[in-house]
Amino acid sequence: MMDEDKELIFQCQRGKMKAFKTLVEKYKKPAFFVALGLVGNREDAYDLSQEAFVRVFRSIKRYNPEHKFFTWFYTILSNLCKNHLKRRGVQKSHLENIDLAQDVYSPDVILEKNEINLRLWEEISKLPYEFKEIILLKHFHEFSYRKISETLNIPLGSVMSRLYYARKKLKENLKDILD
Amino acid sequence: MDCQDVKTYLMAYIDGEIDSQKKSEIEKHLSGCEKCIKEYRSFLKLKEVTEKMKFTDLSDELWAGYWKGIYRRVERSAGWIFLSIGAIILLAFGVFQFFKEFFTDPSVSLIVKMGVGAFSLGIIILLVSIIRERLFLFRTERYREVER
Repeated sequence: MMDEDKELIFQCQRGKMKAFKTLVEKYKKPAFFVALGLVGNREDAYDLSQEAFVRVFRSIKRYNPEHKFFTWFYTILSNLCKNHLKRRGVQKSHLENIDLAQDVYSPDVILEKNEINLRLWEEISKLPYEFKEIILLKHFHEFSYRKISETLNIPLGSVMSRLYYARKKLKENLKDILD
Repeated sequence: MDCQDVKTYLMAYIDGEIDSQKKSEIEKHLSGCEKCIKEYRSFLKLKEVTEKMKFTDLSDELWAGYWKGIYRRVERSAGWIFLSIGAIILLAFGVFQFFKEFFTDPSVSLIVKMGVGAFSLGIIILLVSIIRERLFLFRTERYREVER
């Protein structure tokens, strides 16, 4: 898989659009769902994940082949999502003087809209960004600890401790439905 | 293994990312520590709940249009680059023609020519300096993807 990505990126660096299309087709679903978890609604996730691919294309010559493609891609996508949330927070606080918007965390994106799932989604939306991303990578994208460590560029020990505190926080907020 | 060690490895135990030796040490501790087993069970319950939640997929139509959206953006940015290059060439040519005519015009006094010349040179030096600084930052800035 790694070699296939390297070959595709090598082709992209030589300006081959067909190779770039193959790369997009391969990673479009993980890209969209990662963004969806981070920003909370389909329209923004669709737009931001596409923008991340455009940025990849623009800076493909700077890509270091020693790193895994998805790790590099995730950094670009996560930064875009972070900036988007920051802007959204700023706009929201200008308008209504309240903190981050839960209303843009659309319940429509949940497959089974039962009370527990809706509440869980609401509580995930309120988590600090770094807790949210580790919960999403582990639970919704089923990444192994090693893959999380590579994607977030943190040691394995930090994956375990961050996951512990993220889950602890989520567990406390969901105490009423978990008991 | 004490409660603190269990806390360190509890996530790895729950997610099945632990070696067999540590696994049996944790199990041994859990069998005799009510506080840790309670915490373990509550984390397990959370894991079960979160694993049941799934996102809805996009329609086939939206997935089919995904690549087209990216292609359009890449194409447009290429268009803007060529447009900018063309505009810069035309502007540079216009400026060159203006200065050529201005400095060869005998009706304009030498002092005015010197003033305009020094003013223009100052602008060129400032522009070059700013462009060079921007290029240096672009090459060395690690967080250029992060908007501030």
